[in-house]
Amino acid sequence: MIGDVIERSLRRRSPVIPVETLLGNCDGSRMPEIIADRLTRDIAQKLVDACPTSALGVEEREGRRCLRLSYGQCIGCGKCAEASQGAVLVAKHFTRCGVTKEQTIRLWDIDGRAEVTPLAPSPQEARGQIHSLLQRALNVRQLDAGSCNGCEAEITALTNPYYDLERFGIHFVASPKHADMLLVTGPVTRNMAEAVKATYEAVPAPKLVVAVGACGCSGGIFAGSHAIVGAVDAVIPVDGFIPGCPPTPAMLVTGILEVLRRRVAK
Amino acid sequence: MTEDTPLLFPNSERGSLGPALTLPQSKDGGPARLVAIFGSLGPHRTRRVHYVFDVGKPAYSEIVLPADGALRSIARELPGAAWHERELRDQYGIAVVGHPDLRPLLFHDNWPDGVYPMTDRVDDVPWSKREYHFLQVQGDGIAEVAVGPVHAGIIEPGHFRFSVVGDTILHLELRHFYTHKGTEKLFEGKSVDDGAMLAESVSGDNCFAHAVCYSQAAENACGIEVPPRASAVRLIGLEFERLVCHISDIGGLCTDVGFSVAAAYATRLKESLLQASVQCCGTRYWRGVAVPGGLRFDFDSAKVAELAQAVARASRDFSKIARMILGTPSIQNRFETAGVLSQEAARDLAVVGPIARASGIDLDARRDHPYGAYGKHPIEVPVTHYGDVMARARVRVAEATVSARLIQEAARDLPDGSAFTPVTSQGDVQGFSSVESPRGELCYWLEAGGGRVTRCHIKSPSFQNWPAMSVAVAGNIIADFPLINKSFNLSYSGCDR
Repeated sequence: MIGDVIERSLRRRSPVIPVETLLGNCDGSRMPEIIADRLTRDIAQKLVDACPTSALGVEEREGRRCLRLSYGQCIGCGKCAEASQGAVLVAKHFTRCGVTKEQTIRLWDIDGRAEVTPLAPSPQEARGQIHSLLQRALNVRQLDAGSCNGCEAEITALTNPYYDLERFGIHFVASPKHADMLLVTGPVTRNMAEAVKATYEAVPAPKLVVAVGACGCSGGIFAGSHAIVGAVDAVIPVDGFIPGCPPTPAMLVTGILEVLRRRVAK
Repeated sequence: MTEDTPLLFPNSERGSLGPALTLPQSKDGGPARLVAIFGSLGPHRTRRVHYVFDVGKPAYSEIVLPADGALRSIARELPGAAWHERELRDQYGIAVVGHPDLRPLLFHDNWPDGVYPMTDRVDDVPWSKREYHFLQVQGDGIAEVAVGPVHAGIIEPGHFRFSVVGDTILHLELRHFYTHKGTEKLFEGKSVDDGAMLAESVSGDNCFAHAVCYSQAAENACGIEVPPRASAVRLIGLEFERLVCHISDIGGLCTDVGFSVAAAYATRLKESLLQASVQCCGTRYWRGVAVPGGLRFDFDSAKVAELAQAVARASRDFSKIARMILGTPSIQNRFETAGVLSQEAARDLAVVGPIARASGIDLDARRDHPYGAYGKHPIEVPVTHYGDVMARARVRVAEATVSARLIQEAARDLPDGSAFTPVTSQGDVQGFSSVESPRGELCYWLEAGGGRVTRCHIKSPSFQNWPAMSVAVAGNIIADFPLINKSFNLSYSGCDR
C-alpha cells in the first residue's frame, strides 16, 4: 500500500552525499593518471600502441618530446595501465570536467619526466564559490545525439537520493524551450544531426552546451564511423566538456558546476 | 498473410532466386523460433545469408545460403523476420522478393540509395534527401500524433507515430535507428581483443552482457576454454547487471505512474549496488572487465564476498518494497490489463526475454543453452500468462530474486586459479554465442582471420522485441504509452547499433 511504501522510505536515513565530497571525485570512472617520473620513451610508445582510441600520442612540442593524453577521447579501458610498467594508474581525483577542449588534454615532457600543461581547475576554487554559483536555478535538458545509453544511466543517477541535484536548484526539464543548458551525450549520428541542430535552436539564449562522455567530446570509440557525423562540437557550439566512458555522477556534478563557474567568472 | 495479400508498401524487388530455405522444425514439434538473420561475405566477396533458429535444447541451428541473386522473403511466414530482412537489404543490398515492407530501416532520408556499407566503400558518403512514407490510417476522426526523436526526459531517441481516435491508439508505427552508429562495420579490422571494448559500447546499461557475449563468440571461434574462476565472476557480473536493471525498471514503472516515493526508493537501491560494485572491481557498470579468454584482471575474493553481501541486503529490501508496490491498489489499477501482448503475437514476432516470459513463453538462454558457469546452477524461470504491464513487472521481480541467489552461490563457491587464458588464432575462424541479457537473448556471430575481426553481427533482444510494442499498445489510450513502453524497457542503441 502507498502508506507502507512511504513509511518504509521514511525509516531510511538520507544517503545524500555532500557536494564537497563530490567535487573532483572520480571513483569508478577508470580514468588514467600518468606517473611522470616513471616515463621513458619506450614506455610512452607502449602506451600509445595500447590505446584503442588514439587518446594517447607522442608529439614534439617546442623541441621537447611529449606524451599527450586527451581525456576527451579516453574510454577508460585500462589497456595503457596494463602496458605501463607502473607509469599509469587509475586516477583517484579528476577535475578536468566542464572545461574547455584544450583543458581536456595533458602533456608530459617524456625526457624531463614532468607535466608541461597548466594545472587543471582546482575543485577548491569551485568549492569556495559554490554558494554564489548555486544562487540561481539551472534548467538542464539532456539530449541524446546517438549515445549507447551509458551516459544516460549516469545522468539519471543525478536525480537519485545520493546526488539529488535538485537540492542545488538544478533540474532536468522536458522541453529544450525551458532549458538553460543542453547536456549532450553520444557521437552525433547522421540520423540525429538534424534533430540536434533543431533542439539547439529551440533553447532560448543565453544557453550553455556541455558535451558529455568520450563520444560527446571526441566521437570516442565510434570516431570514424560512416554512420556518425562526429563529436558534439562538429554540429553545435560547445561550452564545456565532461570526459569519461561514462562519466560518473560525481564527475557530472563537478563538470556542470565548473561550466557555471566559468560562465559566472566571464 | 499469403503470397496474394497486397503489399502494404509495394516494392519492385526482382532477381533470380537462389536456393529456397526450408523452415526448420523445433524438436518438440511446431516451427522453430527464429533467432537471427544476417549477411556476411564469403570467398571472393560473394554475399551469404545466415539464418539462426532455436530448434530446442541445447544447440542452435545455423543455415547458410548464397545470396548473390535475390532472396525469397520469409517475413510472411515468420513476421519476426521482417526487420532482419530489411537490415540485410540496407547493409548488403540483397534483393528480398515478396517482403511486405522494404522501406529503409538503418538509414534515414539523408542516406543515398544504392550505397551498402558492408559491401561498398563508405569513407565519404554524400548527404541526400529521399522520401519516407509512414503508414497512413484513414477514416473519420483519426488523428496522427508524432513523438520524437527527442523525447521529454533522459531517454534515448526514437520516433513514434500514433494514429489515434480520441485517446485510443489504433496503430503505432515505430521509426528507430536514430542512434545507428555503424557498429558492425566498425568491428571489421579490430583485433579480436579490442572488439570487446566496442561490444561494451553497444548498449550502455547492459554493457557486461555484450562484452561477455562477444568474448564467448571469440572463445568459441578459437576453441578456448575459459578458466572456471573467470566463468564464475562473469556469472556474478551478468546476474548483478540483471538485478540492477530490474530494480531500475520497477522504479521506472513507478515514475511513470507518478509514484515518486517508490521510484526514489528503487533508485537508491540501484545506486547502493553500483557503489558496492566500485568497491569490488573499480567500475559501476562492469566495463573493462570481460575480454576474450576470461577477465582483464583478477578479482579479490574477499571483495567479491562483500559485493555478494551488498547484493543480499539490497535484494531482501527490494523484495519487500516490490511486494508493497505491486500490492498497492492504484498501481494494480494502472498496471493490470495495460499493454497486453498475446502469446500468439509474441510467438509470431519471436519475442525474447522477460517480455516473452510475461506472455507465457517459457524460454531462457541460461537454462536452454547454458554457457559459462550456468550449467552448474539450477535456474528457475518465472513465466506468467497475462502479458500485461503487471505481468512484466512480476516477472522482473521474480527474476531479481533468482539473480541474487545465483550471485550468493557463485561468490560462495568461487574457484581458485587463473582468470585468463590467452586467445590465439591465426586461421579463419567463426563463432556464435548467446547470453541471456537483462532484456533477453543476446547473440553475437563473429568471424576472424589472422587475429582480426572480419565480421561481427549483433542480434540484440531489443531489435527483436521492438515490433511487439506496436501490437501491445493497440487499443490502449495514448496516456498509457509511456508506462507500456517502460514495461518493455527496450534499448534504442542496442537495437539501432
